[in-house]
Amino acid sequence: MLTPPDVALTPMLPVLIVLAGALASTLLGFWVPRLTLTFINIGALLLSGASLALLWNRGLTAFGGGFVADNAALLLAFVLLIGTLMTLLVTLDTAWRARVSFPEFDAMLMYAVTGCLLIAFSGDLVVMLIGLEIMSLSSYVLATLQGSRRAEESGLKYFLLGAAGSAVLIYGLAFVYGATGSLNYAEIAARVASVQGLNPENVGILVGGALLLLCGFGFKVALAPFHQWTPDVYGGAPTSVSLFLSTVVKVAAFAGMLRVFSGALADAPGWHSVLQILIAATLIIGNFAALRQGNFKRMLAYSAVAHTGFLAMALLGTPQAGGAALTYYLLIYTLMTAAALAIVAALQRSEAGFENNDMRGLYYRHPGYAVALAICLASLAGLPPFAGFFGKYLVFQAAFQNGYVWLSVLAALTSVAALVYYLRPAMLMFMPDRTPAREYAHGQRPPTTFAVALGVGGVTVLGLLPNLWYGWVANPGIWSLLAGR
Amino acid sequence: MNTLTDWLPTLMIFLPVLGSLLLLVVPKTFRDEVAGFIAALTLGAGLAIWRGGGSELFRWDWIPPLGITYSVQLSGVSLALALVTAFMSFIAILYTARRIPNPGPMLSLILAMETGLIGIFAAQDLLLFYVFFEDALIPALLMLAMYGKAGRMRALVKFAAYTLFGSLLMLVSIIGVKALGGSPTFAMTDLKAHLVTGPAQTWLYLGFLAAMAVKLPLWPLHAWLPDFHEQNHDSGVPDVMGTLYKVGGYGLFTFAIPLFPDASLELRPILMGLAAFTALYAAWIAFRQTDWKRLLAYAGLSHMGFVGLGVFSLNETAVIGAMYLLAFQNLYTGALFLSVGMVQERIGSLETRVGGVMTQAGALSGLTMALWFASIAVPGLAGFIGEFSILLGAYQVSPWLTFIAGITTIAAAAYALTAFQTTFWQARPRGAVTVRDLVHTEWLVLALPLAVLVLFGVYSTPALNLMQPAVRTVLSALGGN
Repeated sequence: MLTPPDVALTPMLPVLIVLAGALASTLLGFWVPRLTLTFINIGALLLSGASLALLWNRGLTAFGGGFVADNAALLLAFVLLIGTLMTLLVTLDTAWRARVSFPEFDAMLMYAVTGCLLIAFSGDLVVMLIGLEIMSLSSYVLATLQGSRRAEESGLKYFLLGAAGSAVLIYGLAFVYGATGSLNYAEIAARVASVQGLNPENVGILVGGALLLLCGFGFKVALAPFHQWTPDVYGGAPTSVSLFLSTVVKVAAFAGMLRVFSGALADAPGWHSVLQILIAATLIIGNFAALRQGNFKRMLAYSAVAHTGFLAMALLGTPQAGGAALTYYLLIYTLMTAAALAIVAALQRSEAGFENNDMRGLYYRHPGYAVALAICLASLAGLPPFAGFFGKYLVFQAAFQNGYVWLSVLAALTSVAALVYYLRPAMLMFMPDRTPAREYAHGQRPPTTFAVALGVGGVTVLGLLPNLWYGWVANPGIWSLLAGR
Repeated sequence: MNTLTDWLPTLMIFLPVLGSLLLLVVPKTFRDEVAGFIAALTLGAGLAIWRGGGSELFRWDWIPPLGITYSVQLSGVSLALALVTAFMSFIAILYTARRIPNPGPMLSLILAMETGLIGIFAAQDLLLFYVFFEDALIPALLMLAMYGKAGRMRALVKFAAYTLFGSLLMLVSIIGVKALGGSPTFAMTDLKAHLVTGPAQTWLYLGFLAAMAVKLPLWPLHAWLPDFHEQNHDSGVPDVMGTLYKVGGYGLFTFAIPLFPDASLELRPILMGLAAFTALYAAWIAFRQTDWKRLLAYAGLSHMGFVGLGVFSLNETAVIGAMYLLAFQNLYTGALFLSVGMVQERIGSLETRVGGVMTQAGALSGLTMALWFASIAVPGLAGFIGEFSILLGAYQVSPWLTFIAGITTIAAAAYALTAFQTTFWQARPRGAVTVRDLVHTEWLVLALPLAVLVLFGVYSTPALNLMQPAVRTVLSALGGN
């Protein structure tokens, strides 16, 4: 007998609202200027955010557990929406200057966010994969949308490597299905955890699948050695797109990793030891490569790689400690990275960003932006009282408590390099300088300023009172249910 | 329980940073007065706490899920150091207002840094301590960036890299102390009840030591110090704050001894050796300096070697001496940096061989000489009591190392008097500019610290009474050593 599919629209509300925004941008684009569409999309984001509150603590599911709106998903979705909101605010000012100001840009962006949200809400591997592919395909287009050689090159690079990553990921997914006989996180977790559920012959396949998944995700979040596309893509794409890629897309990929590794495969053997090697490599390569960058935007790209290393450390913690640490860090990371790139977008003369030396004396020309950027950099560096410190602290703690002491020490040591490359531009801004300004004179505009204020205010307030956000994510119950157990 | 006394330490910590933010909106004409008033008020709060015999422990759960509390207490050693900080910040502001053109940002930074420093001394929660420890760094970096000299970027990166190298290892240690000991919070009272034992304690101590040895600074982690002082603004104001930032000795005393008692005893000989070597080595290098700021930096380093010797010896007399020296070293080294700034303002050079300043600026030279006497531990000035107690106490633990460190006092006299002689005495070169003597508040800037130094050099009982019980409590963690 045929059973009707379990379709419930309420838990899908946040995704559907964003999708509606994307569809509206696609269709209305023929008649309405882009600015209007952007405002419609901002409205959609706010509505979607409101719908998160509606679903809080209800634990609804759809499609027989393929789509779960548990608290973990809602918290991650909140982070995604914040990042998107900041992106849209920045594009209001800079899209025309970056020559990407047409409706398709907004449509692609909102489709990407739809995919991101699907990953966060995924309850099985297929939904996760669908979300990931929607997100990836839209991001490839976004990276190429600007008709410049640099953007095309970076987009092509992103597409080729991203496609390879996806292929590896799908292969891994098939392995996991083969080993456990299920695509559902909860069932995978149940089979992996018990001896009866898993055929001993299948352990090898499971390990292989987990490792292939790890590689696939490694491409998406830019874990070394799969990080090579990041500096070129982040550096070559328009700054507002880099902002989106390095925050929202990365958060979504981490949401997927959290679901898969801390949820479904939490008890699977093997991947922990490989992941810690990857993290160690990421920390070393990301931080030391960033140290050598003279271009500020490229430096931020490498710093994004380095932060991947920190973020991934949370996956080594227990799901309870790690999930909370990761979600806390992701919000902070989004706020500070987005604010820093927003300032770059506003002040740069060309889409290549600006050189570190161009920042000399910025404080005396744009005091507000300079102080804001300094706060972002201090937070990225993990200096208290800004929230980046608690993010770093939490992932150190998560890894340390689960026995990865050496990794914590390594992370601390590589952070020293991080501090140097964050501090250099931060201090250059405050050095008196008499040469004429090298930045775009008309960059300071209200929407960008608002986005920057959101980011800087966020990292300051959450640094002084981390519990405002940590209080939401700290409940261990949220994270023990990651796999639906 | 009196609510006002509970809140006084918090007030003393955060008043300066509020003042710092206030300065951003105050009209330029009143900025100096407002900054001075805030600094004086902070000092007043400190004196009020002293008058009340120190504050009780104030505890509020800051981030309950993480076990981080806001625990502050100003009593004993911490109160003494906080008072010195407040006092020297006030002096620095007094001088900044007159000396630096458009002093707004500098005044803000001094006040912001004062908050971090007093917070460091008041914190009774390990993570809160870390937060303040890093907080004080940001204004110090900004001072160097905004007011430094040509080579500041290198000095800045060096300073930041050294400092953060240490403090991040300390952060891992801090996480370890709680995780391995199983304490519910980072508050000292809880941590002391859940001590980590065995080899893990030694490793955690080493992590903690990394941060403190950079700050102290202990050879071979001292290389940032001379550059930091050399590249800072000529006025010497950032140097005063930099001097106050050397909180390594205090951190070791308050946190390391109670939390890692076995490791402290175990590593005692090595660390005492390093400290004694630092003292002597720095004095030797100081002797060869021709830049006043570098000379003072190495002199300060040498004093810090003494402080380290005292703390690491774990002997009651020596530890009291170390804390005494730590407090008053800030006064005389800070004041000397300001006096160097004054000389630079008048003759445009930091060279130690300008000659003849005394013939024209008698008061400046006289006060500087008296401060140098305090620095080289002439009896009757506060430096003597500190150094003497350290040597007396450390001798009971390790006579030979103490002897090596003791040679430093002779070396100190040599470098100080040589440099003083070539700058202030000798003949004034032909055609040199006329040197103006002290004017206006400059008198206060040099005389007030000197007065305090004389007072506590002659009548040390109040300060010792303040410190002794605290030192006894801390050392009791060692189990009757």
